[in-house]
Amino acid sequence: MIEILLIVCAPLIGGLIYGLERKMRARMQNRQGPPLLQPFYDMWKLIDKQAFIINPYHTILGMMHFISLWMVVAFIILGENLLYVIFLHLLSSIFLILAGFSVKSIYSHIGSNRELLAILAYEPILIMLGVGFFILNGSFDISVIRENSPALASLFLLFLAFLMLIPIKLKKSPFDASEAHQEIVGGVEIEFSGVFFEFLYMAKWLEYIFIYLLLMLFAGDNILLGTGLFAIVFFLVNLVDNATARIKMSHLLKIVLGIGLTLGMCNLIGLSYV
Amino acid sequence: MSIYSTLIAAPLLFAVLVFVGTRRVRDVLSAIFIVILGALSLSNIFSFNAPLEMSLPETFHVLFILIDVAVLAYFLWQGALLKHAYVIFFALVQILLYGAVMFLSPSIVSGDIFVDDISAVMLLVINIVGGIIIVYALEYIENEEFTSLKKNGFIAMLFFFLAVMNFIVCTNNIEIFFLLFELTTLCSYILIAYRGDALSRKNALQALWMNQIGGIAILAALIFSILQYDTVYFDVLIANSNPLYLLPIVLLAIAAFVKGASIPFDKWLLGAMVAPTPVSAILHSATMVKIAPYLMLKLAPAMSGFVSLTITLIGTFVFFSASLLALSKDYFKEILGLSTIALLGLMMALAAIGTPEAVTACLVLIVFHAISKALLFLQAGILEKNFHLKYVDDINGLVNHAPLVVFFIVIGFASLTLPPFGAFIAKFMAIESIAGEIIHNPLYAFALIFLALGSVFLTLLYFKVVTKLFAKDADVKSRHVEISKFYTIPSFLLVFLLLIGMYISFERAFLSSLEIVVPLVLIALIPALFSLLLFKKAHRVKEYNCGEKDDIQLSMYYFHMPRRVQITLTILATLGMWILLLGTIV
Amino acid sequence: MFNLKKYRKKSPWILHYNAGSCNGCDIEILASLAPKYDLERFGVVNTGNPKQSDIFLVTGPVTLRSRERLVELYMQMPEPKVVVAVGSCSCTGGVFRDMYNVEDGVDRYIPVDVYIPGCAVSPELIIDGLVQGLEILEQKTKEMEKPLKLFKESTCEEGIVNRRDTALKVGKIDEKN
Repeated sequence: MIEILLIVCAPLIGGLIYGLERKMRARMQNRQGPPLLQPFYDMWKLIDKQAFIINPYHTILGMMHFISLWMVVAFIILGENLLYVIFLHLLSSIFLILAGFSVKSIYSHIGSNRELLAILAYEPILIMLGVGFFILNGSFDISVIRENSPALASLFLLFLAFLMLIPIKLKKSPFDASEAHQEIVGGVEIEFSGVFFEFLYMAKWLEYIFIYLLLMLFAGDNILLGTGLFAIVFFLVNLVDNATARIKMSHLLKIVLGIGLTLGMCNLIGLSYV
Repeated sequence: MSIYSTLIAAPLLFAVLVFVGTRRVRDVLSAIFIVILGALSLSNIFSFNAPLEMSLPETFHVLFILIDVAVLAYFLWQGALLKHAYVIFFALVQILLYGAVMFLSPSIVSGDIFVDDISAVMLLVINIVGGIIIVYALEYIENEEFTSLKKNGFIAMLFFFLAVMNFIVCTNNIEIFFLLFELTTLCSYILIAYRGDALSRKNALQALWMNQIGGIAILAALIFSILQYDTVYFDVLIANSNPLYLLPIVLLAIAAFVKGASIPFDKWLLGAMVAPTPVSAILHSATMVKIAPYLMLKLAPAMSGFVSLTITLIGTFVFFSASLLALSKDYFKEILGLSTIALLGLMMALAAIGTPEAVTACLVLIVFHAISKALLFLQAGILEKNFHLKYVDDINGLVNHAPLVVFFIVIGFASLTLPPFGAFIAKFMAIESIAGEIIHNPLYAFALIFLALGSVFLTLLYFKVVTKLFAKDADVKSRHVEISKFYTIPSFLLVFLLLIGMYISFERAFLSSLEIVVPLVLIALIPALFSLLLFKKAHRVKEYNCGEKDDIQLSMYYFHMPRRVQITLTILATLGMWILLLGTIV
Repeated sequence: MFNLKKYRKKSPWILHYNAGSCNGCDIEILASLAPKYDLERFGVVNTGNPKQSDIFLVTGPVTLRSRERLVELYMQMPEPKVVVAVGSCSCTGGVFRDMYNVEDGVDRYIPVDVYIPGCAVSPELIIDGLVQGLEILEQKTKEMEKPLKLFKESTCEEGIVNRRDTALKVGKIDEKN
């Protein structure tokens, strides 16, 4: 029952996290920042706006992105197969990319393009993460991973690699070239407006939930450790976001693939020796 | 037994019958034959209970030797006629080695025919997918400008190919296997050179000499097998195999790499693009290249740790590098070809791992790859015939003109990568089985990295193409191009097969129904509901171009692949093969 | 059913367009978004995308070259929307008034809701103007608002309003009067 409740509330919790993050970033810059519930105000306002569409495919694909992402979060909460969750997440990203390519807009195309490259950077690491958990627990099932003791120590290098991909997924500096706010006007999301943009906006909140739920897996059955991890990583990601500049997509690929794959590889080889 | 002899004899018979009568008679007869073949292979897999083993009479063996000599002589003649040094050289080597094999007389005998469940699955793929492609070819070849004799010859060749393939997955005798291997080489040579222009000839000869390397490898394997194990039968060889003396097995595996067009032998499959599209379709999906994973599956039980690991690493490396190379390509068929090479590498890697899970994954991949690739190649043919499109960059906004073709292409690509289609499940199981191996041997972690990177590259590749199709002008009323029913019906059949496959894959409970059905339903339904409610109220508006009003043209993006990358990948793959060979000898 | 309208003023997203300004006002707009004046505490986001914004901040006297884009951007903003003319130039033409290459102010082309004078405008004034604009935003309806010039009536097919090519391109006939 609690799972159903969590699944239904997932976008709301994501919105709260997003609000908290905006507040926190503002405090780090020594300003007051928007209210905590700002994302929800945005949401109501977007529903109230006149809706525009370019073509039906574009809009429907955007909605499919949101729904499949919600599905991903639901499956993590229900404790389904981790590998399946990762691939379903890939599917949801693909929907977004197809949406971006389905309109004749330069920025949208560039954004989708960069999104594809970002997938190239983080997807192998996610798969390795899944395999790391499999070697440790003998199963891909998230419910099994949650029942076992914390994997943080044994998967520490993979944990570091995972930290690198959080900014990519959450569109944070230095790895936010795929959205690149003013540079390519938000990339994929540029042609969405009104209530249809709302779906993408909420999908962004769900992305927070997805990433932080994956992060919590490192804590296994230790809820206290999980909360601690969440708090520390949340702070760290925002600190890095405030302190770094955006880097180019090719650098992103080199850095994330180079360092991430090496770390993951060392960890997997180490695991099989232990 | 009668099923198998019919499966082999019927296409042979029809290959002769095709020359009799008018086009209409030919088409009706072909359709009937294909239905019969499909039904037979289906009934075979349903009634399959125990492996069947039997021998062929001595007269057959004599006949086979005669055909073998004739085929090798034909190769030599072609080489001499067209003055191609490699072809002559390899044909001579083969004739010498074949003579040597004839002089050796092994004493341990077994059945010539051996059909197990893997063969049954292969038969299903060959006959059903191959049959559908032939139906398509009937229409396709009519749109080419050849004499009716040559057109009939084309259909006859395709049927002959099916017969050879049906035989090759049933045989247990390596000598007969060699004969059939050479016959598929012959078929592909004739089909690739079918158009008769200079480029076709050149590519056909390339396919010929590369495949002859495979033939040499098989003959060498035969000689070593006779010397060491005193047998020419797969089952005896595999049952008695000694981990310290695996040379025959490794040589056969190298023959599989050649047939599977793994890097560095990839050139011949890419060269085969010049042939009429049904040839590519049948080479890539149902026949020829599928010999490779089949042979690996057969050999897997005999492999030692070293051999299995090396083949897995080579296979996954090929998967990785072929999909990387495909990213820089523009020619639609070439993209499909490289992705075939990549997936064949993966299939061989999975077969070499040899755990029950990996074998299932390999079989699932064989089946679904065949269906998806057939579907995609049929669309490539339609694009060429009806729209005169060959390059991905030109298919801009195809959804405006041919929504059906776009639908098929999208389904084809999606079924190779995304849940909940069969090939996805195979990839899923592949990761699971490789992950299982890492526990025993950390070197499998490299295989995992290749697999992970390769599958992401492939996704990138497929959606690079798909997105090009989707670039749609807003709400434009567009002209529709009529597409012949003979083209669309085979495609629909293939999509239908994909759907059946989906049903089967969760019948076998790889994933819970919750994981497959719920996303499908929700992803399909909810947007439809919303769109019904909201689209009427929404205003149509122009794309944002910084307020500019001029029209823009958007092109495809490419990944620049320097030549040295290509060379490095080829060298690494070749090195892998040598390590495999030398490591076994040492 | 609670009133959605009250959330409009809690989340104004702005689009900033420079119609030939000297960049003085633009710097001030950015300054008011930066930490010292912190416009984000009102929920302001500088989207740079007309399709997701509510408030159109225009600076500059509208040069001839920028007219088309001004109208196009205006048409691409979904209703309800508010136009704020920032700086003397965009209010009246400022020091450029009556020059051959400028139109005298934004209100020749699109209806303006709030004028913020000043050369350059101070951030305090911008904040004040924005807050005024929010009051107006709350009262507006979702009725389509039309530019004053360079505008072709939008078509409506099967109940779907098409505003694709409603903003005209400056072509053979120059519309300056």
